[in-house]
Amino acid sequence: MKTKDDFPSLNERKPEGMKPDGTPWRVLIVDDSMFVAKQITQILTSEGYQVVHTAADGLEGYEKYKELYPNVDLVTMDITMPRMDGLSALQKIIEFDKNAKVIMISALGKQDLVKQALVAGAKNYIVKPLDRKKVLERLQSVLGK
Amino acid sequence: MRVEYINPFVESAFNVLKEVLQGDIKRGELYLKSTSMPVMGVAALVGLAGDVEGRVLFDMEKVSALKIASAMNGEQLTVMDELVKATITELANMITAQAVTKLHELGFRFDLTPPAIFTGDNMEVSDQDVEALIVPMETPQGKIEINVAIRERG
Amino acid sequence: MNEAGNAVAEQAKVEEKKDRGEKIDFKMVTFVLAGKEYGIDIMNVKEIAHAGRFTYVPNAAPFVRGVYNLRGEIISIIDLRTMFHLPAERKDEGALENLLILQIHDQVFGIIVDQIDKVVGINRSSIQPPHPIFGDINVKYIRGIVENLSKLYIILDVEKIFMPKAKEEKEDAYHHAVPARAAANPSVPTHVAPPDAADDDLELGFIREALAALRNFATSAINETWFRRRFDEWKVIRSGRDLQLKEGGEADLYLEGFFSPYTGELWGQEYIEAFESILPAIEGASINVWNPGCGKGFETWSVACALKRKYPNGRIKIWANDSDLLNISMAPNMVFSFDTPPEYYAEFMVQGRNGWSFRQDIRDAIFFEFHDVLNTNSVPPSDLIVCRDMLSFLNPLDQKRVVLDFAEKLKKNGVAVVGANERLDLEGWEPAGTGIITAYAKA
Repeated sequence: MKTKDDFPSLNERKPEGMKPDGTPWRVLIVDDSMFVAKQITQILTSEGYQVVHTAADGLEGYEKYKELYPNVDLVTMDITMPRMDGLSALQKIIEFDKNAKVIMISALGKQDLVKQALVAGAKNYIVKPLDRKKVLERLQSVLGK
Repeated sequence: MRVEYINPFVESAFNVLKEVLQGDIKRGELYLKSTSMPVMGVAALVGLAGDVEGRVLFDMEKVSALKIASAMNGEQLTVMDELVKATITELANMITAQAVTKLHELGFRFDLTPPAIFTGDNMEVSDQDVEALIVPMETPQGKIEINVAIRERG
Repeated sequence: MNEAGNAVAEQAKVEEKKDRGEKIDFKMVTFVLAGKEYGIDIMNVKEIAHAGRFTYVPNAAPFVRGVYNLRGEIISIIDLRTMFHLPAERKDEGALENLLILQIHDQVFGIIVDQIDKVVGINRSSIQPPHPIFGDINVKYIRGIVENLSKLYIILDVEKIFMPKAKEEKEDAYHHAVPARAAANPSVPTHVAPPDAADDDLELGFIREALAALRNFATSAINETWFRRRFDEWKVIRSGRDLQLKEGGEADLYLEGFFSPYTGELWGQEYIEAFESILPAIEGASINVWNPGCGKGFETWSVACALKRKYPNGRIKIWANDSDLLNISMAPNMVFSFDTPPEYYAEFMVQGRNGWSFRQDIRDAIFFEFHDVLNTNSVPPSDLIVCRDMLSFLNPLDQKRVVLDFAEKLKKNGVAVVGANERLDLEGWEPAGTGIITAYAKA
């Protein structure tokens, strides 16, 4: 009996969160806002990404990255956080792993910080309010590199 | 409040609310209040620094806060929990950030300080005698009063 | 608004149906005065109202309870019970009275009654001639008596009561109807003597009320001199006719000549040079100016240029505010469409795509703010306050507050400029102006 695999359907689209080998991309979310973290989680999991952890500040994010290394494919990093902000955490993560893929999440008005982050090694940035399409596009563009 | 500061707040409030709530957003008539106390039960506050000192306060009823948070999270939220508070705080942040960006383009250096949220039980926003501009916004989830008090520094 | 009025109309219809037997050709609004039922031809009744808080008018007849603002129209309120010397229950201040708003020819006024009853429709033929025994009031004012559904109604002749008729009647009616005549026509004196100070006071009182209600103009020590001078002019302008201000247009006419020169435009050469001459000597590098009630901003721009001339090396900062959002929003980006700017301002202006505007350093000197002067403000101690024609549009209590604020805010050698027809001849202030500019310094 023929199975679904024998007839690749024209309409079936592979979820973006899947690597070519069928396993999900693993994402570390670093954000002090429960709401934003939830939003990103929802967007990602709906496309098959796996959220390996959510950290509430830069320090926690950095520690978790080290702990989980090399099993984090991408980090979303909020720019303004207490204890250790996004820029500092970014720098520490890049120091630890120069190939780390980090996307900055920023509210409007923080262009200077975003620029600094890009210079420091962030791969891309997304401005809030988060738009599902925008988020997925940016992630894809970073993972594609 | 300086005339030039008014439009950025009015426009940002409208734009952001329109984007996140997706419904019919209407702005009421602007007016001045002699004190800056919030009055409706839930208040999210974002501080302003830089060329000025002051703050933007988002004042709404608890019921509206719950409805707004529900709409923004895509699920029914019925209790004033951490998620609801985080959501309202984020909304306040987005609106203020957009206003500050517009003000930057006009040549005014403003900075945001981290937001805070107050609910009925811990409502102790100090009632200094500061004049506030009120921008009333009508959303499908209820009324939000954006209460801006800004003072030129020095 | 007129719920009561509609009820009257409805009642009228109901009554009409009831009296199907006889043809109804007269309708009256019935009411109670000291226990007896009276009626007034419905043609004279404009509406029914319930109101309290009538503004007391000094020197008016005792039955004139005061005046009332009926949707913008200032009307006299007459207590019919007092007028007919009937006992009346005195209500608490502010408690609502029952009013019939009457219109006789073009005179509108209100009368207070004990209770308003209903509309009764009758046939004219059933009206009996008046007899003194039926009323507590002079038979002259009774049109007739009628019985309806076992109630006796005394129909009042409102024209006789409230309107002056032929000259002889006026004389004759004088003894009884002096009150009535005055009540109907508030501009008519309440006693026989020819117009004199007391009558003027009555007129002035009404005009004060009208200006406040129609244009928010409050008369007080600040503008009293001008107000009285204007009243003498007004009497001439309106010679013979009614002096009262019945609507906005008339209030504007009265206020013509109040406003300072160059309101709503850049100040003219002579005026601005006079202004420069009253400016104080300022030690120190910075000059702080408070300009409340700046309106569209023309005066602010003018002041800024004058200050730049007078203090070329000074750091000028002007806090200009107004509580009219529309006006003040236009101020910071004012553009002028002249071919060439006026001589005095030319060096301070630059030409752009849309027209002429002020140089950047002049613009930087001004903070235009949407602000209500009654709220706290953050204006620093000021060398100069420019506040033309604003105080007169605040109520007297607020006027006092703001003037106190001025005294507090003004530096020792500072100067306050007010409107051309305003005065701060109050304790703590002394004149510091010229004929053209009205200015005061702290005493």
